Parts: sequence; structure tokens; C-alpha cells
Amino acid sequence: MPEALSLKIGATGVRGVVGESLTPQVVTAYAAAFGTYCGAGPIVVGTDTRPSGEMLKQAAISGLLSVGCAPVDLGIAPSPVLQHFVRASGAFGGVSVTSGHQPPEWNALRFFGPSGIVLRPNQAAELTDLYHQGAYPRVPAEAIAGVRRDETATARHRETVLRHVNVERIRGRRFKLVADCANGAGSSATRELLEALGCDLVMLNAEPGAEPPAKHLGELAEAVRTGGANLGFAQDPDADRVALVDESGEMLDEGCTVALCVRHGLRRWGGPVVVNVATSRMIDDLAAEAGAEVVRTKVGESHVVEAMLARGAAIGGEENGGVIAAAINPCRDSFVAMALVLEALADEGGTLSDMRATMPVYAVARTVLEFQPREVPPAMRRLQRLYEGNVTSLLDGVTAAWPDRWLQARPSSTQPVVRVSAEADTAAAAEALLHEAAECLQPPR
Amino acid sequence: MRELKISPGGVRGVVGSGLTPELTVDFACAFATWCGGEAVAVARDTRRSSEMIRAAVVAGLLSGGCEVIDLGVGSSPLASFAARELGAGGGIAITGSHNDARWNALKFFGPDGLLLNAVAGEELLDVYHAAAYRLAPAEAMLPPAAAPEVEERYLEHLLAALDGEAIRARGFRVAVDFCNGSCAPLAARFLAALRCELVPLNDEPSGEFAHLPAPTAANMRQLATLTRYLGADLGAAVNVDGDRIGFVTAEGRPLSEEYALPLAALNRMERRPGLVVTNHSTSRMVEAVAARYGQQVQRTPVGEGYVVDCGVAEEAVLAGEGSGGVAILPATMTFDALLTLGVVLETLATTGAGLAELVAQLPAFAVRKSELACPPDLVYRCVEAFRDRHAAEAPDTSDGVRVAWPDGWLHVRASNTEPLLRVIAEADTAERADAIHEAALTFARRVAFGHEGG
Repeated sequence: MPEALSLKIGATGVRGVVGESLTPQVVTAYAAAFGTYCGAGPIVVGTDTRPSGEMLKQAAISGLLSVGCAPVDLGIAPSPVLQHFVRASGAFGGVSVTSGHQPPEWNALRFFGPSGIVLRPNQAAELTDLYHQGAYPRVPAEAIAGVRRDETATARHRETVLRHVNVERIRGRRFKLVADCANGAGSSATRELLEALGCDLVMLNAEPGAEPPAKHLGELAEAVRTGGANLGFAQDPDADRVALVDESGEMLDEGCTVALCVRHGLRRWGGPVVVNVATSRMIDDLAAEAGAEVVRTKVGESHVVEAMLARGAAIGGEENGGVIAAAINPCRDSFVAMALVLEALADEGGTLSDMRATMPVYAVARTVLEFQPREVPPAMRRLQRLYEGNVTSLLDGVTAAWPDRWLQARPSSTQPVVRVSAEADTAAAAEALLHEAAECLQPPR
Repeated sequence: MRELKISPGGVRGVVGSGLTPELTVDFACAFATWCGGEAVAVARDTRRSSEMIRAAVVAGLLSGGCEVIDLGVGSSPLASFAARELGAGGGIAITGSHNDARWNALKFFGPDGLLLNAVAGEELLDVYHAAAYRLAPAEAMLPPAAAPEVEERYLEHLLAALDGEAIRARGFRVAVDFCNGSCAPLAARFLAALRCELVPLNDEPSGEFAHLPAPTAANMRQLATLTRYLGADLGAAVNVDGDRIGFVTAEGRPLSEEYALPLAALNRMERRPGLVVTNHSTSRMVEAVAARYGQQVQRTPVGEGYVVDCGVAEEAVLAGEGSGGVAILPATMTFDALLTLGVVLETLATTGAGLAELVAQLPAFAVRKSELACPPDLVYRCVEAFRDRHAAEAPDTSDGVRVAWPDGWLHVRASNTEPLLRVIAEADTAERADAIHEAALTFARRVAFGHEGG
């Protein structure tokens, strides 16, 4: 990608390449805009384990202080812990310096409103307007607040999670677990939560800040198999998502995490369930089973959470392993997901593969197609015409459904690519559908 | 008007309206670029705004690939010492120094511990103006690291420059007003090592200043009372960031800040005679002391960057200014209030005299200082007018206009740090000083405002 395009300021916050486009100047000014937007009160800040996190955090702290905000510094903190703390402490907002799974030279700032919920697109647009206007009401020296460190955020988050699951029942199972934290910000919080749930625990890649291992999931599967564990958790470095490995060492499709939690959540709390348009049809089957309604939204945490709060939904999520239990913590939260999976296993009594076997099974095929930016809209129109009678939603890209197969194609909001996924009863059918859609989107020249 | 002053020696402004985090980040990036991404020692004073400025400085330095040596709350001389002692690429002191609490500033030190001089400062400004900053790759960034051993080594260094045995033998009682700045903990250890009893005043490092920070007689009233009632041998007012100092006699008489340099000269000329450097605005008292020992005084433009730089270049033994900033050369590379206090105590210890007796050895010149608040364009018009007015009297024009007569002198200049015209006059008698000073002020007002009122 050319240098000029590596800085992205928009709905998801500020992202860029450190040493190139994501400079302390941009972050200081953007933080001053965010402080202006939230008002002069406590703003929670934290980072993931990237080496550039400290630099960007200090830039953000300085900008926040200049407009009268009182930064509360959590140090290294996973986003769900930070978002929970914003709400629990009554802060005016939060800033998380984190770039999830992107390469190490990237980093990003995500912004949360007063309840710890990621800014909605219209709020993000207002914030970006403020930044572009560039006039932030600075406070005089005597009104500048101090920076407060807080070490309690992880414990407070853990208490909330434990309050919402049946700890006794989970402890009773004495699960034997392997947790792979990808050396991310969630490493110690994961250990503490799972120990509190009475698990016999092996931790892999649990050194925050150490190089994330390249192909670590094989290591996890191996550790589960050889260690005779009940299951394994693969957490992403930002601790908002988690994938599952069953007792035989088989990695489940990442959509399974959401599906398992949704089924369990519908049993506990009832519907409706909210997922984005790209999430597997498994959700529709599970909701039908429970007699609950499915609400589909555009892709992105803010859209799903907004619909959950509006519809009073307790459970929801996104296809990539991000589980959202609004009653516990209204954001993608891997800790909540782990606790719910363990509670479901404890309730049902079997193994993870038993539980997987009771779920609807679809073969999934996915691809990512690259385009020149101006080629994306005509491609999407071609696809819409091709599937005219079967298009079920145009909320985010094109969704089309048949009795035995399903297709979703949507342009990325941050890159000139289109993500396509197909589901069918067999792998061959899913591949065929994906191929057909890809041919239509990218005709031979 | 935006209250901001960018000069080679540093960046100074009113926080909020002039000095913003964005500007600070830019200057920290420029400094990181100037020093090639090497380590930088960072100290800050106790002001409320200093934590904000520090965060911006750390962000800018890290982004430029510097390792940040975090001295926490610490004095400017400590930042200078740390830069030199640790072989760093430079140092930054975050401090509004003698300015009131609304202000803050960045002072830049080079690898030699010297404030950036005109040449180095211009290089830094060139980088800032071009805005072409060094950007380090993300994976190379380290979190700021503390360096607690530096403070220890700094104290040892100060003590090594003094006759500790003589001072310890006297068991002085010393009242020190810290103006709630960054120096109190270090000073307590320094004086304890000299077996002096410290009577602290305003030693809470809160940044809520009990009075204006400059160590002038007017700001030492509280200290004067304390010194007299508690029977201290002397009182000392230390500036917020530990660069300037003022003294009070055992009898409770606050001395003008002009006395710090000649009092230090009494010590240096006796123990290590040599050249003294000061600026054009400083009292001739120091010339009287130097002359007594057959030594010379060299004058430079106003500013620590000029006097200390010249002092080091000319191998002087002392450099200082009438503001109370004194550098004991070659022991320190910067104005250092604690070491200045140390040499005055040393003189008291070795001569057995009291501070009032030392003062009595200095010629009693009358000094008159005032400042005229004046927008920048008018400031320079005034200086021009004075140049024309005194053209026939061979004025020194290297820093504003300085005119010398056999019985006194007048110096008119634009402040380096604020939108002010400074008018300083000194003469053998009070009447003559008043006359020179009044005539100059009247002339300045007429030029600036077209009338003679205040």
C-alpha cells in the first residue's frame, strides 16, 4: 500500500503505520478532539503489548490533558477490560491503543463512549469533524488534571464475568484446559479468570509483549491432544475474540464460538439474537430451534451492540469469534466467551466435540478479492443482478440465500477489497458457489 | 496575542493559549531528529501542566527513536548532569522556571550538558521549521526507563566540588524556600551530607506556588522572617527548577538576586581565580570582586545559553547573571542553585564571616530594574530608538543597547522569554541610578505609546 494511504481516520478510529503515518502529532490532536467531544472528565486509556503503544498513549494523554480531561491509565489492558472499566467507573470515555492482529508496524486508536461502547458511525463522524476543524478549547494551566494509574481494571472485569456465570457448576467440572494467549494483552487476565473457574490450566504464549508465534495454533492443538485436555482456547492478541480446539485437538471453525455461545445464551436469556450479515446461517437454525428472532446488522462491533441495546438482546456477536453478551459487557469479549463456553459444557455434561455434533453443520468457503477502489461498486451491482431473485439483504454488500446454500459479499470499509463467504451442505457446493460469485465480481478481462 | 516565545534556548509559552501538546510534540520530534535518535534525559518541574508537557515530550522522543531516560520530577541542573553523565544525546527540562504558574517551557541541553547555544538552537529551529522529523520504526520503541542512580551521582559530583569538611565542621542552620518546586528532596540530601540543619519552607512539591518563583527580594519576605526568627545562618530561595538562587542574611535582610553572582565570585576568586563571564545587564559588583584578585570579567548577551557557553569556551571559572543564575565552572555546565548555595556556605565556613559581612565587602551600587509590557513590534522599535539616542556614546549593541558611563550604565533590551522591554540601570549612587532609569523609562514610553504615562 502506498505511504499516503496507510493512515485511516474514520468510523473505526485512527489507524496507521508507526514510523510513517501514525505520528504523535496526529494522535495528540485527535485525542484533544476526543477529549473535547467527551467533555472534561475521566477518560480511560490503555494499550496492547505493541512496542509503539507507550509512545501513542503518551501522545493521547497529553492531548486529553490539554482540554481538561483526567486520564486514567490502565497500562497494558485488553479492549474488553478497558471498555468494562469505562462503564464501571463512570468515566466519560475511553481510548484503547491496539491493533489486534495486524503486523507490528501498524497501530490504531479505538474510541469508546461513556458506557464503554465503541463510538457509533455517526458519533465517529462528529469526532472526525471536530478533528478537522482543529479548534480544541484548551484549559489554562491551573485547570489541568493529573494522570491516575489504576491497577484494578482486570479484577473488576473478572468479578463482573464471574457474577454472571454459574461458577460452582463450572468449578465442579474441573476442566482441564490449554489457553493460548498469542502473547497478547489478555494473558494474565485469562489465567486469573480460568483459575477462578477452577480449571486445571496450561498456558501457552502467555508472555505479554513477546513476539507472537507464527503458527501457534498447531502448538495449541498438539498441547490439547497430548495433555489430555478437555478443550483449548486460542485468544487473539487483543483478547476480544477466541477460537476453540476440541479434546481431539481439532480446531473448530471460528464461527463456532459465536454459535455455541448464542445457543447457550438463548437458553439462558431468550432472544432475540443479533449478529452481522456475514455470520453463519447456523445462527438462524439455532434461533429457530429456540423460537427466537434473528436481527442482522452491518459488520462491525458498533452496529451489533447498537442493535442489541435497541432490541434488548442479551446475546449476539460476529462471525470472526467475537461474542457479545450485552448483559455482562456490551462489547466483543473473549473472557465472556470462554466463561459461557465452559458454562454450556458444564450444563450439558459432554465433551466439546459432542456439543459440536449437536450443532447444525455447514461447509464454509471464504475468499478476499482485491480491486481498484473505483471497481468495487460496479462489481457489487453485477453480483446483485446475478442473484436478483435470491438477494435477501443489501444492508452491507449483498447477501443471497437458497434453501441449501448462502452467500455474502461485502466491500471492506478500510481497504479496496471485497470479502466473500459461501455456506452450503457440502464443501464442494460451497466452493462452487464461491467460485461463481468471484467470477461475477471479477470477470475475466 | 498568543503568548509563545520560540528561541534557540527553548520554547516558552502560556499553557493552553501558546504552549499546546501539538507544538510540544513537534519540538520533541525536532529534538529527537537533532540528536540523531540517541538517548534523551527528561526531567520536569512540579507544575500542574508539566505532566501534560512530559507526555507530549515522551511521545515525540519515542517516535523519533530516542530512548527516554525518565528523571521524573527533577531540577534543570539534574537534567543537564544526566545528559552529560550518561553519555546521552541530550536532555530536556520541562519547566516554566522563574515564570508564574500559567507558563511552561522546554529547556534543551546538548550531550555536553550545556543549554543549546545560538548555533545548535538554530539547527533545532531549522528542523522544526522544515518539519522533517526522524520517524523510528515501531518495533524499536522502548518504554521510558528511570535512572535513579543519576541523582546519587549528581549529589556526589556536587559534594566533590566543595570543601565538605570545612562546611560540616560549622554545622550551619540553613532556611531554604523551595517555592513548591522540584528541588526539595535533593536539597535535603545535599545539606544533610554537609551536616547542615535544613529549615524547609514551601517544600511540598505540589506545583501550587506560594509566591512568584523568581528569587527576588520581593519574593523572599516570608523566607526573611523565617530566617531571622529561627536563627538560621542564612536563608536561600531556590527557583522552581533549581537554576536560580537568592539569599537572605541571618538578620533577615533579603538581598537582591544580583548578589548571588558576586557572592559566588568571592569564593571562586579566592579558591580558583580566573575569568568571570556575565551578561550586559548584570551589576558591576562582580567586576569589583574580580578586580580585587586581578581577574577579568567578560560580558555577553543576556541568557544562560550565552554566558555559560562563553564561560566554557574561555575556560572561565564562573559564569552567571543578575537574575540569580550562577554556574560554578567547570563543575557544572548549567546554572545550579544548590552548588551556588554550597560555595557560599564554603566561604562562610572558611572565612568565619557571616553573610552580612560578606555583603559588606561588596561595593554598594544602586540598581534599578523595570519592565515595560510591550507588544513585540513595539519592543524592537523602542530598542532601535535607544540605539539612535545613544549613538554618540559608543553603545554595545550585541543585545539591545548598553551604554556605560564612568559612574553607571543603562541596558535596554527585549526580553528573551516574554513580550517585555527590560530597562536596567546601575550607578554609584541612588540618585544617579534613579535619574538614568527614569529618563530611560520616560523615553521608552514615549516611543512605544506616544505618551509618558504608565
